[in-house]
Amino acid sequence: MATAVTTQDQRAAELNVLARKQRSLWGDALYRLIRNRAALVGLIIIAFAGLIAIFAPVLAPYDPLAQNGPKQLMEPIWTKAFGSKFTDPAYIFGSDELGRDILSRLMYSSRVSLIIGFVPVSIVLTIGLTVGMLAGYVGGVVDDFLMRVTDVVYAFPDLLFVIIIVATLRGTGLGDAYDGLLVIFVGIAVVNWVGVARLVRGQVLSVKNREFVEAARAIGAGPGRIMRKHVFPNILAPVIVTVAFAIPGAMLTESVLSFLGIGIRPPTPTWGVMINEGFIVFSTTPWPVLLPSLCISIVLLAFTFVGDGLRDALDPRSKM
Amino acid sequence: MFFVALITFSLAHAAPGSPFDLNANRPLSQATIDRINRYYGVDKPIPEQFVIYMGNLLKGDLGLSFTRQRPVMDIIGQGIGTTFQLGLGALAFALAFSIPLGIISALKQNTIVDYLSMLVATIGTTIPGFVIAIFLIYIFGVSLHLLPFVGWGSWQHMVMPMFVLGLGAGGFLTRITRASMLEAIRQDYVRTARSKGLHERAVIVGHALKNALIPVATIIGPATAGLITGSFIIESLFNVPGMGRLYVISILQRDYPVIMGTTLLYAFLIMIANLTVDIMYGMLDPRIKVR
Repeated sequence: MATAVTTQDQRAAELNVLARKQRSLWGDALYRLIRNRAALVGLIIIAFAGLIAIFAPVLAPYDPLAQNGPKQLMEPIWTKAFGSKFTDPAYIFGSDELGRDILSRLMYSSRVSLIIGFVPVSIVLTIGLTVGMLAGYVGGVVDDFLMRVTDVVYAFPDLLFVIIIVATLRGTGLGDAYDGLLVIFVGIAVVNWVGVARLVRGQVLSVKNREFVEAARAIGAGPGRIMRKHVFPNILAPVIVTVAFAIPGAMLTESVLSFLGIGIRPPTPTWGVMINEGFIVFSTTPWPVLLPSLCISIVLLAFTFVGDGLRDALDPRSKM
Repeated sequence: MFFVALITFSLAHAAPGSPFDLNANRPLSQATIDRINRYYGVDKPIPEQFVIYMGNLLKGDLGLSFTRQRPVMDIIGQGIGTTFQLGLGALAFALAFSIPLGIISALKQNTIVDYLSMLVATIGTTIPGFVIAIFLIYIFGVSLHLLPFVGWGSWQHMVMPMFVLGLGAGGFLTRITRASMLEAIRQDYVRTARSKGLHERAVIVGHALKNALIPVATIIGPATAGLITGSFIIESLFNVPGMGRLYVISILQRDYPVIMGTTLLYAFLIMIANLTVDIMYGMLDPRIKVR
């Protein structure tokens, strides 16, 4: 070894090889996620929907609430090729029963859907992580209490519980805030946090007696540090996957509630509200219902693809 | 069950408004309101009402509907048959297509057959039932005039609701079947069976499938719960006179005794479904008992 003379270039090449081998778990997961074609398509669709949601006021050709009586129930312009007489080049996707532009309404709807997807899920994540880690790590009374609460919430069918919460709070100030948005946040959060808490608790229980945690404790790390630096990163993968599926779940809940007429208040456009309102004219012209249905399907599929991709990327052992 | 009742009851009574103050044009006199409140027993303190309600519940009495002047039991009894018909039909349909599909896609893993059936399963689980229903109504009901999409009774009425309801549960079951079948065909006992010279069919049906279906059986419980909760959207959409539509209507009308009754019944059904599966699980897989 002593005789081997390594030039600077060789040395650099060697280091480079070593550097390339060192990929973090997260970098690896990201690489696998991007390589998954379905997940990539999903990500692109979500990014696209996000851009539309952010720039809706700029992109939308009309005010989504502006009514235009004489121009109601216009059909999308492509139906002209099939002999529809009720088209107007000013309304690319047509107009609804009150003469509102469907394209503008679809764009504004994506805002509500994405907000519903992300806000309650972050609430759920915060509460679920905190309670779950406490229950798992501290155990005792906290743990018992959590398990009793989850048992009760589990006894309810999810959607039924959300419906009851939303329906009973409708007349109150909470129910009226932001066109009913707030009460939907509450409903989704109340029903879903227990699932995350239970998952986190289980993960913490399985991790907390492993050697690396013991080693950390042996060198004098306090419980706060152990939880943050040692337990938390190791339980994150399944939590991320659960959250990835919770987002489309929350969107679905909103659209179901709005479709049943107890979700977001009209005239605020959401895809569910549009379907609900358009249903009256469904047998005359289906577009006010079909187009939002299509949007919701595409976005939900996109989120599911990303969720599937994340699961495969983060947990190669998983079976499904 | 007790907690379900308690929570529903408190939420229902915490809510402002009652079905009687809907008519703002003709306000009722205070005397009339008092009389109505006494008639329905809502003039007593809330804890007392709850005790009375639970007592009556044990006797099979769910109280009177606010809006229909009939016992809740009767109203539910009218809808429950239809809902069961719909639910069982959907479950049968889901099982009939999902298990074969899951098996085939596991046996032909990573072929076009596998990808197609996984696509169907993903669509079934991801796209909400009411959206699929809308597309179906448009194609078969509005455009082709093949199937009626309002009401209930003949088999033509039942095809679309059952299909839509079954598709969601079936998609889920397909994925589970495929996953557990994939695991089963890699087990040692399958290799043993094959090396004994058994027919491929005997290996798959007799050895792999038998074991692969155990996890599937446990999923049927949650799947049934999904069917039940899915039913009220589908019933409202297709105007099926079942329990689900009743539930949605009574929520819109704030008819609390009916909401209470149906919620309890739903929770009860889901509990029964899960319990049945737990018992079945023990019978299907003797290893559970040893542990």
